[in-house]
Amino acid sequence: MSAWLVANIAPLMFVGLVIVLMLGFPVAFSLAAVGIAFGLLGIELGLLQPTLFQALPERVWGVMSNDTLLAVPFFTFMGLILERSGMAEDLLDTIGQLFGTIRGGLAYAVIFVGALLAATTGVVAASVISMGLISLPIMLRYGYDRRVAAGVIAASGTLAQIIPPSLVLIIMADQLGRSVGDMYAGAFIPGVVLALLYAGYVFGVTMVKPAWTPALPPEARTIREADGTSGARSLLVLVIVSAVAGIAFAKLRLARTPLDETIVIATSVATGLAFVLAVINRALKLNLLSRIAERVTFVLIPPLALIFLVLGTIFLGVATPTEGGAMGAAGALIMAIARRRLSLPLIRQAMDTTAKLSTFVVFILIGARVFSLTFYGVNGHVWVEHLLTSLPGGTLGFLIVVNILIFFLAFFLDFFELSFIVIPLVGPVADKLGIDLIWFGVLLGVNMQTSFMHPPFGFALFYLRSVAAKKEYTDRLTGKRMAPVTTGQIYRGAVPFVLIQVLMIGLVIAFPQMVMVYKSAESTVDPAQVEIVLPPSESSAPPPDFGVPQTDEQKEQQKEKEDAKDNSDAQSLEDLFKAPAPGPGK
Amino acid sequence: MNALLALSRAIDALTERIGRVVYWLILVVVVISATNAVVRKAFNYSSNSFLEIQWYLFSAIFLVGAGYTLLRNEHVRIDIVSGRLTARAQNWIDVVGIVLFLFPMTVIIGWLSWPLFMDAFVRHEVSTNAGGLTVWPARLIVPVGFLLLFMQGVSELVKRIAFLQGRIPNPLERQHGRSAEEQLAEEIARQRNADGARS
Repeated sequence: MSAWLVANIAPLMFVGLVIVLMLGFPVAFSLAAVGIAFGLLGIELGLLQPTLFQALPERVWGVMSNDTLLAVPFFTFMGLILERSGMAEDLLDTIGQLFGTIRGGLAYAVIFVGALLAATTGVVAASVISMGLISLPIMLRYGYDRRVAAGVIAASGTLAQIIPPSLVLIIMADQLGRSVGDMYAGAFIPGVVLALLYAGYVFGVTMVKPAWTPALPPEARTIREADGTSGARSLLVLVIVSAVAGIAFAKLRLARTPLDETIVIATSVATGLAFVLAVINRALKLNLLSRIAERVTFVLIPPLALIFLVLGTIFLGVATPTEGGAMGAAGALIMAIARRRLSLPLIRQAMDTTAKLSTFVVFILIGARVFSLTFYGVNGHVWVEHLLTSLPGGTLGFLIVVNILIFFLAFFLDFFELSFIVIPLVGPVADKLGIDLIWFGVLLGVNMQTSFMHPPFGFALFYLRSVAAKKEYTDRLTGKRMAPVTTGQIYRGAVPFVLIQVLMIGLVIAFPQMVMVYKSAESTVDPAQVEIVLPPSESSAPPPDFGVPQTDEQKEQQKEKEDAKDNSDAQSLEDLFKAPAPGPGK
Repeated sequence: MNALLALSRAIDALTERIGRVVYWLILVVVVISATNAVVRKAFNYSSNSFLEIQWYLFSAIFLVGAGYTLLRNEHVRIDIVSGRLTARAQNWIDVVGIVLFLFPMTVIIGWLSWPLFMDAFVRHEVSTNAGGLTVWPARLIVPVGFLLLFMQGVSELVKRIAFLQGRIPNPLERQHGRSAEEQLAEEIARQRNADGARS
């Protein structure tokens, strides 16, 4: 009996964890309890040292002194303040008006605003609730198919999960022992591609079933010129002028900087110019710009300014992701004050929610660290590694199996649980197989995004359900009776987008270049350099050791291996992205 | 049992008060971090004490706030199975979970982290980073946080048992009104109506 136990303790521990988690007691304490129970069993069986638990306080200490996790409350707080600032509503109104009169236009507007909000914050609930309350009734009023409308809103809200700065990427970076800045740089293009795929789906619908996504009639526009024209031409001119200026500036001044830096600078210059022109136009009453052009410029400035403040400074290497989060939170506060939306109850509520969310997230991590102390002690990682490396198909087989596993686990686990429980198990194996961990992280991030869209538990669907009409209602504008949105319609609407997500997983596997761009972003601030370090201490940036006890020699070897690998991987990409001149970062 | 329920109410009140104080640290740490980032770039001045105080404060938030989060029942659960069970069954699961899962964890970690605090306190340990802070306050947060979590666990246990005896309404039903999402939705709807009325 005890020999059998000794031989199978790791698989037993894993099964025990699954059973205990299913009981529905808080995940953090369940994880810790399984770790402690099997730790006691291991000590009894002579597998583990009786002093095993002495390591627990240091594990908690390691979680406390982890700078990366500080970004979690910052980005959460920023999102909570921002969702009440009215920015999303203004964006949806204006962009909806702009695109509304083309076929599928409202759906494009939702995707565009969803992506923009996603790049400002990382909170899914806020986007879905705003869009469900503002865009959904308009879409229904003009006869959009309910499934398409619901699906596009839920999916666009989940973009917050993959477009930086998202919480899941922070946690993924932490768990994989990579820098958050790299993870952000790597996730950026896949996030944009995903938004384009959503738009592509809408375009397909407009082609095959035009009646599902009708264009709004011209009278639906409230922002138009005195003579009744849309004023879109004026906007187009403004966009072209600003874009040309931005690109020209970037080309002239910054030929030697990496790609992402160039993008940040060019966008900032272009936006700044458009803003200045719009302000001059308004101040001098020149009337050179149409109303829509002016309106669009003014509503886009706040989100773009926040994106610059957060992502811009991170990509430029001015701020660490943690600092970027803090500045974003401060920026959101300032913006809310400027819009007179900030009140004491709002701040209290935001702080309360942030404190509770950060606490449960960090406690899952603490629980996972207690679990892993025992699990690694009984060589559970070796068991997992054997299991995963013995799969047919080598690296690709491993990737496919891990993705299928996560896809199905995402039906009933959310991304915090997936990141803290599954990633530490599969991460080291991926590393051993020579898989780039940033790419791996982004890939799993795209996958975990589906956990928000899986019927029936996906949170995005749940939030949309909570704000979509459950009963028949009278439309405010037309006075017509409108049928409610059924739960079935919301679920069915999500299905095509879950499939797009699966397609995107395939695309990221097939085209790693989308992620590997991060290697040209060497200028990102390394948190380890920010600290004024004397000798390496326990609070400096941790190596990617996944809690596996390692000797210094092993770490040294791993480091060398990584360096060698990085160089070979980077070679072809450098040719691609740094062809004109090698960046100063190298 | 009445005495225990009184104890539970006292613990809840304490936890509530502590939670409402501790969450202000979020604003404090946002301001410190943002200021530090700007100052570091603008004046090229930084000290490790500013970096360390940030994680000291964050640690205080999640360790001291753990009991508060438990009081609010916000530690995430996987309720795919338990969500379909009766209220009694859910409360039974919590009784078992608190006694067998929560208590051992809080006792072991709290107990073992006390000597580390004493050690740091007696030796006047200072962080090894240049300009670093005194270590003992951060070490103290760990046993304090786990003690508060343990106490809140006692209170929750009392409430679960009292419910199973039919003395109080189901403590797992949300007592604290609307969720943050519901409040957001109401806020936007209210704003919309105000806009609609004006135009």
